[in-house]
Amino acid sequence: MENVTDPGLIADIRRYGHFDVDGCYNCGSCAAVCALSEDSALFPRKSMRLAQLGLRERLLGSLDPWLCYYCGDCSKTCPRQTEPGESMMTLRRFLTAQYDWTGLSARMYRSAWWELGVLGAVGLLTGWIMSRLMAGMPTELTAQGGVRINEFLPMTRVHAFDWVMAAGLTFFLMSNVARFFWYTMLRDGDAPPLRSYVSELWTLVWDGATQIRFRECGENSPRWVKHLLLVTGYGLMFSLIVFFLPWFQTENLYPLWHPQRWLGYYATAVLTVFAVEILWSRVKKEEEIHRFSDLSDWLFPILLLLTTLTGIAVHVFRYAGWPFPMYYAYFAHMMVAVPMLTVEVPFGKWAHISYRPLAAYFQAVKTNAAGLRRAEGAAPDAAADAGPKAQAA
Amino acid sequence: MNSSENHGKRVGAALVVGGGIGGMQAALDFAAAGIKVYLIDRGPCIGGVMAQLDKTFPTNDCAMCTMAPRLVEISRHKDIEIIPLAEVEKVEGQAGDFAVALRRRPRYVNEKCTGCGACLAACPVGKLKPSDDPKKPQPIPDEYNEGLSFRPAIYIPYPQAVPNYAVVDPERCLHLKTGKCKLCLKSCQAGAIDFAQKDEAVSVNVGAIVVAPGYKLIDPKVKPDYGYGAYKNVITALEFERLLSASGPYLGKVLRPSDKAEPKRIAFIQCVGSRDSERDYCSAVCCMYATKEALLAKEHLSPDLQCDIYFMDLRAFSKGFEEYYNRAKAHGVRYIRCRVPKLGEDPATRDVTLTYLGEDETKHEAAYDLVVLSAGLRPNPSSAALKGTLGLELDQHGFCVTRPFAPVDAGREGVFVAGVFTEPKDIPETVIQASGSVSRAMELLSPAKGELIANKAYPPETEVAGQEPRAGVFICHCGTNIASVVAVQDVVAYARSLPNVVHAENVLYACANDSQEKIKKTIVDKKLNRVVVAACTPRTHEPLFRNTIREAGLNPYLFEMANIRDQCSWVHMGEPLPATRKAKDLVRMALAKSRLLEPLYKKHVPIQKGVLVIGGGLAGMTAALTLARQGFKVHLAERDGALGGMLRRSRFLFEPEADPQKHLAEVVAAVKAQKNITVHTGAVIEAIDGFVGNFKTRLSAAGQPAVEVPHGAIIVATGAREFQPEEYLYGRHAGVLTQLQLEERLAAADWRSKAPRTVVMIQCVGSRDEKRPNCSRVCCGAAVKNALKIKELSPETNVYVLFRDVRTYGFKETYYTRARQQGVVFARYDENRKPRVAERGGRLAVTTYEPIARTEAVIEADLVVLAAATVPHPENKDLAQMLKVPLDPNGFFLEAHMKLRPVDFATDGIFLCGTAHFPKTADETIAQSLGAAARVAATLAKDTMELEANVSQVLDDSCDGCAYCVDPCPYKAVTLLEYMREGAIKKIVEVNESLCKGCGVCQATCPKKGIAVRGFRLEQISAMAEAALAPASLDPTPEPEPAKEEVAN
Repeated sequence: MENVTDPGLIADIRRYGHFDVDGCYNCGSCAAVCALSEDSALFPRKSMRLAQLGLRERLLGSLDPWLCYYCGDCSKTCPRQTEPGESMMTLRRFLTAQYDWTGLSARMYRSAWWELGVLGAVGLLTGWIMSRLMAGMPTELTAQGGVRINEFLPMTRVHAFDWVMAAGLTFFLMSNVARFFWYTMLRDGDAPPLRSYVSELWTLVWDGATQIRFRECGENSPRWVKHLLLVTGYGLMFSLIVFFLPWFQTENLYPLWHPQRWLGYYATAVLTVFAVEILWSRVKKEEEIHRFSDLSDWLFPILLLLTTLTGIAVHVFRYAGWPFPMYYAYFAHMMVAVPMLTVEVPFGKWAHISYRPLAAYFQAVKTNAAGLRRAEGAAPDAAADAGPKAQAA
Repeated sequence: MNSSENHGKRVGAALVVGGGIGGMQAALDFAAAGIKVYLIDRGPCIGGVMAQLDKTFPTNDCAMCTMAPRLVEISRHKDIEIIPLAEVEKVEGQAGDFAVALRRRPRYVNEKCTGCGACLAACPVGKLKPSDDPKKPQPIPDEYNEGLSFRPAIYIPYPQAVPNYAVVDPERCLHLKTGKCKLCLKSCQAGAIDFAQKDEAVSVNVGAIVVAPGYKLIDPKVKPDYGYGAYKNVITALEFERLLSASGPYLGKVLRPSDKAEPKRIAFIQCVGSRDSERDYCSAVCCMYATKEALLAKEHLSPDLQCDIYFMDLRAFSKGFEEYYNRAKAHGVRYIRCRVPKLGEDPATRDVTLTYLGEDETKHEAAYDLVVLSAGLRPNPSSAALKGTLGLELDQHGFCVTRPFAPVDAGREGVFVAGVFTEPKDIPETVIQASGSVSRAMELLSPAKGELIANKAYPPETEVAGQEPRAGVFICHCGTNIASVVAVQDVVAYARSLPNVVHAENVLYACANDSQEKIKKTIVDKKLNRVVVAACTPRTHEPLFRNTIREAGLNPYLFEMANIRDQCSWVHMGEPLPATRKAKDLVRMALAKSRLLEPLYKKHVPIQKGVLVIGGGLAGMTAALTLARQGFKVHLAERDGALGGMLRRSRFLFEPEADPQKHLAEVVAAVKAQKNITVHTGAVIEAIDGFVGNFKTRLSAAGQPAVEVPHGAIIVATGAREFQPEEYLYGRHAGVLTQLQLEERLAAADWRSKAPRTVVMIQCVGSRDEKRPNCSRVCCGAAVKNALKIKELSPETNVYVLFRDVRTYGFKETYYTRARQQGVVFARYDENRKPRVAERGGRLAVTTYEPIARTEAVIEADLVVLAAATVPHPENKDLAQMLKVPLDPNGFFLEAHMKLRPVDFATDGIFLCGTAHFPKTADETIAQSLGAAARVAATLAKDTMELEANVSQVLDDSCDGCAYCVDPCPYKAVTLLEYMREGAIKKIVEVNESLCKGCGVCQATCPKKGIAVRGFRLEQISAMAEAALAPASLDPTPEPEPAKEEVAN
């Protein structure tokens, strides 16, 4: 493939956030100081260079932005203060939009109106669907006394709705992931053999479960713990509502020691605390990674916090036996949670749920395949990579 | 530029602020031109940073050896008054007549000081040892050794310091602090210590001021990630320079600070404090000083020493630099293109660790025994005060702002600047600016020259005729240059045993002021009538010693030199015993000749005050104008039909207010209006005869009869030309241009309407290759300048610059940054994988391999612009032959000394400026042209010129007029005479002493011993030969194992 330079690339990327490569003279400090960049993935310098040169397709085929966990060491070290860490963040947004075949992601990232509009529309749509699913009017049910949650929005109906939502979400996410796979692993030829995928499957499981690379990233270990807890909370809550709704949406009031209660409390607590923590950090801007905040960076914790707060309200009202506010809180809860999941996960910032572990996996697969090629005695690198070695060598 | 047309008082004196190499040059040029000089320095002595350097790139000349003669010359110059420890307090008046108030801090030591050093040994503060206990008093870090050693509270800054007096550190002197001690006072036999000294107000009246306050290194602590100060084995380049120096903390041994072990692995980290967001300029000298230090470290330690230089762009942009860089690579110095983000320390070994990205695009960990930080340059912080006192404009970093086309004008009339104070620069550019400043000042002061100078009075010459030779022998250590190989004490003892030797001793640096004084005193005390110095080479140092003995009343030609450094210690480095024996042989030979020396006397010939300037471009016109304004008659010869040279093709500079064509028009008009300038356009130089002070040149112009012009000096300003590329479709595709052609297009009115979509610039076309190894210096700046112009005129045009190293030295770095910020894409290419240009569908496709992306990229372009090399004129060869001056291997004219004589040729009376010397920018050309003019003015200041006395002499009785010697004479100095005597035709040859260089070819040809060079007569040479062949038994001393010896002084 001939790499024709595209002078418009940087302008394109800049529509997705801060992207300052102008001061950059490719000195290499950023990649040298980065704890995660390694020989097969020398970011952020290489990503910056591809963007500077306008090598759009090469950038699209690059896993590097997903391997960066943004500790900010590069930005702190950069002698030209070009903020490579934030540029990598912007590249992730750019790439998320490129993988998305619907074009929705690109529109939302580039325009606040689109982002807020889509979220609002899905929220309203959810409200409308809920009103269709509703079995009894809140006023009437309140008049009957007691909290009658399954008479208001019957669990079976909500459960069915959750399944439909999850299916749609998965469809969009997976179709984008398929494109991600094609761009990064298949398109440029030289595809790794199947056995590399098989033998590195472990990376996918391990990295997906632990995000262990995050821990190795600069001075990020505290953030890794927070992130891991957040993931458990999120995973737990998602499972509870999608798979265990019958157990969860019930009129039974369980004692405190019952797992239905403490599992829910744990997930809610984790999600609330870290949503607040993220927001607070972004307001304070003390750490390198929080110095720049795109709308998508704000919306993510805000939606999460609204979801947990409305969820807490539902719970409190139910246990307090206040039916009327509970019914409205449930409505509100659905109108926040559903757009958050359906919009942010396949098209927004939460797409990294898929791209990050897969990128780590794909990188491992590529390394494995390169090892196999070397073992077979083939040229260690592709022809294009047979650049002149260091003058030193 | 027309300050000389002012009327008003002109004081024939000048103030030079700053005693570094720039200030020293200005002082010497002023004094030579007949101006009284006050040379002030904030510190206790002159010399500046150059005095701290071990050697200088790219020739590896010893810095002190090239500088010491100047220090000495200044110290004894009758018209230069050094005022150390002084600062400018107030300046009143105007150009031509400034009243300057100086404040001079007390030295607490007066002129009676002999620099003997007794007080240094007596001072108790000097005996302090560093201690971890914060309550204990700490020793004083020695500034000269960058704190790597300690000094007493009364000290001499460095052995060759001028003035060579001790100075008391008032902050640490126990007596000044507590009223006690006074041990130094007791130790001083000369009675030179005077604690009653107070701050002193000094006022001087001068006509002009030259400001050269110099620089400091940027404190590496501004980059905390490098751990400077915390990690013991992380040092600055200047500290490393001191480690390399024979007068350094470990006497020239390279040892690392933590454990005094010899390092095996050294890393140099470039751009420390430069080229970042806070200081967006390039310090211009660090790439080369790191290269030098790496080469020297290998020389000192082992050829296998690992030296790694971490750099971003290797900026080897001046004469001989690229070749030096290539040489370093050949010697195994590794250049690694990565800015090192941070350093770490292994707590156990104190080794320094780092991570870098190799050019193979892989990450490496490395550990070093020693890491040298190539810290950048910043203006001397003390110069900030000059903003107020002199009304100078300083930029945000504290550099003095100058205007385009006026590189040495400080912005206030009568005040001029030189050196790093205006922009980071190397020694020769500083020297050039210093001379240039003098030239500008002389435009103002020439009416007053000679008014305030003293006439140097030598004592009457002692009559030596008929006396038995009484020789004094002085053996120089040259730091460790000689003493580390030759057992100097043995040679001294041996010399004492030789006949006619009444005195022999060893000296640390024979050329230093203290040693000179000692030699003079010994001549008087011991009634010497011959002096032999065994030291370095007579080529550089003989004039100094001759002057020394003349000051002591001896005829200067009663001096003989034995070269025991270049021809002995340097070439027999690993063999101390035979080297010592050879040194003795050389001393014996010198002594044998010295017995036969006789007084010689110089002749004086009148000087022609006119100047011939060859070349009517910016360089030639600038030099001609300044000389004309100083009252010299100038013949300006231009081969072309019109004046202007290459400047005619220049349309823009970086500074938007600078218009080269406007400047050119002004200069041409000024030249034409100058009554002192005769312009010869369309001129051909047919012949140049004569010598300094008395040249005659035949000039012819098309269709005109040849004219013969007399003149006293010549400036070569023939310029250079743009290389005509053959590669990259140049000449075959209309879209392929050179940078100069692009500049012309950019200046055309229709650029905006026909702006190309994409422009690709390719650097180093015809430079830095096997055929022309040198860098063309100006092309990176030109590319950045034109790229910015494109972005200004048509922001939508995409600009790519394909480079090998971006060499935007000095403040050009700021424009490089600006270009990137405006979206110009810079992409490196490797010299072994050059870009390819092909035509594609009417447009051009440039394919380049990008080493970071590790891929080939294709840029579709409308214009491809080649940074064609600046190459010398092929005709330089003929002119060089006519002038008998050398060219460098690239075909540019070669100056006398790359560092300290950048505008002089080795041949007297011929000077050099502009791109005939090397590619350079307009401002650099102007500075150099002013500099060359100052050297001309210094040469032609007097009415008569002394001729060398060591010239050929016909011995009438022996010469039979066979004329064998006439043809071989390379200087055409010998002619045959026929005359009648006693009715017969007699023949004899005659020597023109003005032309004779004393080369000796005639003497070697003569079969009759009828012609001889004075000072090299046959019997003198044969005495040396006999001494050389004398049996070894003549050496009465046994040969002990040479031991490390203390220096007597």
